[in-house]
Amino acid sequence: MRTVKKIFARWETFLVLFLVLEFVVFGAANPKFLRTNSIMNALVNYISVCIVSLFVTMVLITGGIDIQAASIIGLTSIIEGVLWSDAGFNIWLAVLCAFAAAALCGALSGFCVAYCGVQPMVMTLGGSFLFSGLALVVSGMSATPAYQGISGFPSKAEDGSFVDFRFLGKGNIAGIPSQIVIYLLLIILCVWILHRTKYGERLYLIGVNQQAAEYSGINTRATIMSTYVLSALSAAVAGTLLTSNVNSAKADLGGGYTLAIITAVVLGGTSNNGGKGSILGTVLASLIICFLRYGLPLCFGVSTQNLDLYVGVILVAVVLGREIAGRRMISGLFRKLRKKTA
Amino acid sequence: MNKVRSLFKARWMSSLIFLILLFLITGIADPNFLQYDNIISCFNSATMYTLLAIGIAFVIMTGEIDVSIGATMGLAAAVTGLIAQQDGGIPRMLITCILIGVCTGIVNGLGVAGIGVPSLIFTLGTNSVIRGILFLTSGGRTVENFNAPLAGPANQVLFAGVTTYYVIAVILVIIAHFVTSRTRRGKYFIAVGDNPGGANLVGISTFWTKLVAYILCGIFAGIAGFVFASKYGQVMTVAGNGYEMTAIAACVLGGISLSGGLGNMVGAAIGAVIMSSIGRLLVFIGLSSTYNNTITGVMLIIIVVVDALTQRRAIENARRKRLLSRTAEGGAKA
Repeated sequence: MRTVKKIFARWETFLVLFLVLEFVVFGAANPKFLRTNSIMNALVNYISVCIVSLFVTMVLITGGIDIQAASIIGLTSIIEGVLWSDAGFNIWLAVLCAFAAAALCGALSGFCVAYCGVQPMVMTLGGSFLFSGLALVVSGMSATPAYQGISGFPSKAEDGSFVDFRFLGKGNIAGIPSQIVIYLLLIILCVWILHRTKYGERLYLIGVNQQAAEYSGINTRATIMSTYVLSALSAAVAGTLLTSNVNSAKADLGGGYTLAIITAVVLGGTSNNGGKGSILGTVLASLIICFLRYGLPLCFGVSTQNLDLYVGVILVAVVLGREIAGRRMISGLFRKLRKKTA
Repeated sequence: MNKVRSLFKARWMSSLIFLILLFLITGIADPNFLQYDNIISCFNSATMYTLLAIGIAFVIMTGEIDVSIGATMGLAAAVTGLIAQQDGGIPRMLITCILIGVCTGIVNGLGVAGIGVPSLIFTLGTNSVIRGILFLTSGGRTVENFNAPLAGPANQVLFAGVTTYYVIAVILVIIAHFVTSRTRRGKYFIAVGDNPGGANLVGISTFWTKLVAYILCGIFAGIAGFVFASKYGQVMTVAGNGYEMTAIAACVLGGISLSGGLGNMVGAAIGAVIMSSIGRLLVFIGLSSTYNNTITGVMLIIIVVVDALTQRRAIENARRKRLLSRTAEGGAKA
């Protein structure tokens, strides 16, 4: 009985129930919703948010916040495009350079947050301006007009299947889109990092009490900085996949994802005060939002332009409900304690 | 003399000096810039950002944040436009805008201060909701073709090139500055942001203070929406998107600390002028507008890093002094 209670006290259980409910309701309203192909397509369309939110979770667990990741998506995309088409680099070398640039961006913000003591929100706000600006500057160096986007990435095999760079975004591995395979691998990597290594434990400890973590011999500053580098690198992965998928390198790819990423992380149960959260929660939450955005227009004819309203209402309802329920639980705990002492 | 010195130590003073430096550098690059008209138009174009920045400054002072003001502004602008299409008068538009602001403020305030949801998360949610309501009210179309009373006053010059709207904005800044720095209740905002527990102990209700801060923030966003509709003559469904980040950046540039309890309204207003004139300054320097965000980002980062470092040094100095005085006392006793 107690284990049952414990399972229901966990936030992830609630998210799973919500996800199942979504499938039941949408599936009943329109059986087309349950087609495997369309489900995978929906996931591919939302994959950037899913991938970046995994690593932004780590930043939030240390008590920081990262609102610059979305602008790094565009920056990596345009760096890859310009290096490949204008500088004549090999595409994989261009990807490598873009990853290095993203890591530098993350390191810059991480350094300022960890070593100079700037508030994370302010620093990454500045970073989001800077990196989206740099993306525009880089796209100005290209011979291709910025609004067109650099296209024509390699390449398609003769039988119409995608190989080389485009395989990342369009290919299939055993019938599953390669983007989803990469997402699954990243989930496993994140779960391992956060829940199975010492590094992950340190992240939680820093989030709970940075001073205590510092005194217990953890190099808190380097650890905090590393989380920003990781989230920037995940944005680079998302940027590369997006470029490869749409076959176009643009400076403004991923522009509107900032709030979506934070929403996914927070709905997943990660507290922005640090010390709390899990990868599983983030994954479930991003899937919930992803399928809401896919199911509402398909099954209930909601205009795709106005999806934010419903996603917003659900977010508000969920956080409110959770806060109220949490408070009742805490007050119940106090009542129990009082009874014990009395 | 002491007063002058304390004036120069004020946090907003450094942002004013920064603004003047920006103007001077642009002037060196292109002497044509340093004309009265150019400089005044920098201030005039800052009207909307000024309103948004002082609104959100109330909230930031209490240590919270509000990222829904962009959507609130868009909604107010769209509703203003709809009223203008039906030939409604200016008072009706303004009252509606203010009511919209009050409503969003109450919702945000209740969620954040009443129930205790982290402010970033809650206002993220209300941001999408308000944007959705904007979409429903405008039917997903761009609101345009306004009547004359709304479009008229946008470029009306009151005196010496200053537009009426900017004068009103400046008056609001002065009132807000006076209220937050001179009146008893106004100081509650900073007190709550500086130390919520302490403020509670001396009898200041953090709930009411934060609620009022959110309502004020909403009202200012509503008025900014009115200005938006009047100035641009058309309101798209994405109107005001991203303005919240610019307003927050303006506050940071103006020396308001995002952890609350520090800063004042004049700083926010100056920050708003800096944020809105960067694009114009770049044109005179001869860079294309693609550098706009880059320069903004670099500026913001430099300012916050310098600020963080000087603050840390000040804290360390204070601690050293305290330790020194303690050891000196101890030595005297022994």
